[in-house]
Amino acid sequence: MSENTSKIMTIIKHEYITKVKTKGFIIGTILGPLAIVIVIGAVIVVTMLSMDTGIKKIAVLDRFGKFGSQLVASDTARYYLTDLKESELKDQVRNEEIDGFLILPEDILENNTATVYTRGGGGIGFIESIESSVEHFSRIERLKNAGLNTDVIDIVEKGINIETEKVTEEGVQKDHTEAFAVLGYILGFAIYMFMFIYGSFVSRGVIEEKANRIIEVIASSAKPFEIMMGKVVGIGLVGLTQVLFWILLMFVLAFAGQPLLNSFISEPAIMTPGMMTPEQMEIQAQFGMVKDFLGSGILIGFLFYFLSGYFVYSTIFAAIGSAVDQEQDAQQLMMPVSMLIIIPMLFISVVMTNPDSTVSVILSLVPFFTPILMIVRVAATQVPFWQVALSVVLMIGTFFACIWVASRIYRVGILMYGKKPSIKDLIKWVRL
Amino acid sequence: MSVLVLDNVVKSFGNFKAVDRISFEVEQGTVFGVLGPNGAGKTTTIRMITNILIPDEGEIQLFGEPVNPVHQNRIGYLPEERGLYKKIKVIEQLIYFGQLKGLTRSFAQKAANQWLFNMDAKDWGNKKIQELSKGMQQKVQFISTILHSPDLLILDEPFSGFDPINVEILKKIILDLKDSGKTILLSTHVMEQVEQLCDNIVLINKGKIILEGNVRKIKRNFGRDYVLMEFEGSDSFLDDLHNVKFINRTKNRVEFRLNNADYTANQILQNAIDKKAEVIRFELVEPSLNEIFIDVVQKTGGENE
Repeated sequence: MSENTSKIMTIIKHEYITKVKTKGFIIGTILGPLAIVIVIGAVIVVTMLSMDTGIKKIAVLDRFGKFGSQLVASDTARYYLTDLKESELKDQVRNEEIDGFLILPEDILENNTATVYTRGGGGIGFIESIESSVEHFSRIERLKNAGLNTDVIDIVEKGINIETEKVTEEGVQKDHTEAFAVLGYILGFAIYMFMFIYGSFVSRGVIEEKANRIIEVIASSAKPFEIMMGKVVGIGLVGLTQVLFWILLMFVLAFAGQPLLNSFISEPAIMTPGMMTPEQMEIQAQFGMVKDFLGSGILIGFLFYFLSGYFVYSTIFAAIGSAVDQEQDAQQLMMPVSMLIIIPMLFISVVMTNPDSTVSVILSLVPFFTPILMIVRVAATQVPFWQVALSVVLMIGTFFACIWVASRIYRVGILMYGKKPSIKDLIKWVRL
Repeated sequence: MSVLVLDNVVKSFGNFKAVDRISFEVEQGTVFGVLGPNGAGKTTTIRMITNILIPDEGEIQLFGEPVNPVHQNRIGYLPEERGLYKKIKVIEQLIYFGQLKGLTRSFAQKAANQWLFNMDAKDWGNKKIQELSKGMQQKVQFISTILHSPDLLILDEPFSGFDPINVEILKKIILDLKDSGKTILLSTHVMEQVEQLCDNIVLINKGKIILEGNVRKIKRNFGRDYVLMEFEGSDSFLDDLHNVKFINRTKNRVEFRLNNADYTANQILQNAIDKKAEVIRFELVEPSLNEIFIDVVQKTGGENE
């Protein structure tokens, strides 16, 4: 082993061991999954609660006189027929006696327009649901007018549910497109959290060494580049340890958890071997998804984008940490970098719903956005190979560029005390 | 043999020349003082020797070769501003610093325990730094500097923060290291310590060397114009003296320098006797290094900035 590798290894080991041994890390690693389950559970509960409160009472003034009663019958919780005058209804709305009223005009089929009167708002979902019901009944009316009999109309109005199957080399499989899109969201969010949390570990570590004047002693023992990269790699390995532990946990749950759960549900006396209850089939499907995920390239993609994203941002964080004397001074310089991490979070749902759109493709190829957005696409759709390859090349290129710039700033920054540097100063240091 | 050679070394930060053509040599087995007022360029010079900074011009040779990163393992550096990891155990910290200097883990551990024992600190190993007093922390820091038994030891204000007892312990360690053939570069403002410890010095001001050489020779060359007088009776003869620089003047004791005064020592003594002062002691001594420091620095224009 050469002189330099042994020094950087010493630093990596030191950073890794001191961090992994902390109570915070051990507790975070064990309780992390629990916290995630609680958060997701809370989100689901809140979502369900908010759905219930959406119902509003709407009076229907049926001037058209054909399908008012059918409309009311379709959702009695929301609609009721009324004979009051328009002006009286308006008064009632104003006095908050009713939430709103719907007028079906005589010429609804000619003008394609009905009007809802409310005190304002109600949400897009609310308006859309009224629109689709009214649309449904007026379409039936039009079909009747065109002379079709009810059998034909029933056939026309029959809905279809799309079930998705994906064709791969192993044959046709159950496709979890929707679930995987959500999975992509979760993975993207996880990378976001990791980049922030572990990035700030790096900057805090650098600031600690500088503020406590440890850095000068270390700098007289190793090159600034070794010190910076040793810290970045060491803390990165801590993050990787945590992630790998969680993935291992998922493996254990996926392969050991299923038989365990089955044994709770099954009634061996009645069951013949090989047959499953519906509950067991449901569990089978759920675990199948987890197994699909663990066996797919998504996992490798996640590890790559997680690590490359961490390296890109943590080296920048290290440079910023080296430039300031204490943590409070870092905020101002952190801002633009934090923005780069937050921006992809704003687009994450767009990318999740339309992973193949041009916007999604372009955004996911911007190196600073790639770690979060590309993993969403990889999970949600079949990303063309060239795009994945391009993103990998761009990430690695960005990674080296960031190391180069950051190590040049770091080298100067660790010895600079006293004045709070601006971004302009940092650029000057790079050129120094 | 010269352990360290600086040859016309220059280092600038922007337009500011922190070190301006400095040259000196340090012999093996000596204590060498690098002195100067605040901001003179001492720390910059030291950082170039420790390979933290690279000189713009000139050359630095360590152990007979141009300075390079490999030399860092043979240097121990105690910076003026001290610092340790607050939340890490003393022993772990010492091992880490030892490993950074190329020691194996087990060797570093042995050496650390040995030094903790030598310095009356054998029970501190498992304590975190933040649990130690300032003075104890300084001791740990000092141990981290000498753990790997460096051939060149660079100490920047090593005694600050120590009580008189520990200062003596430290001085003894430094002189023991010197006797065992190690070389020590000492930077301090306490001239008394320089007189006690240093063989040779350079005095730097505004990035330039303004005085250098053997401490004894410097003092001798500065001349015996430093008068120490003790007397009883009237001190009125002192009021007649012009152009004399008083350093300490009390009722029965006075120290002053004759630098370019209008009188010789003999004339002053004669005058005192004439004025009925009873002279108990009249001595012409070498100036203290402190005096020389102030004198030389003031001639070249005081502190920087």
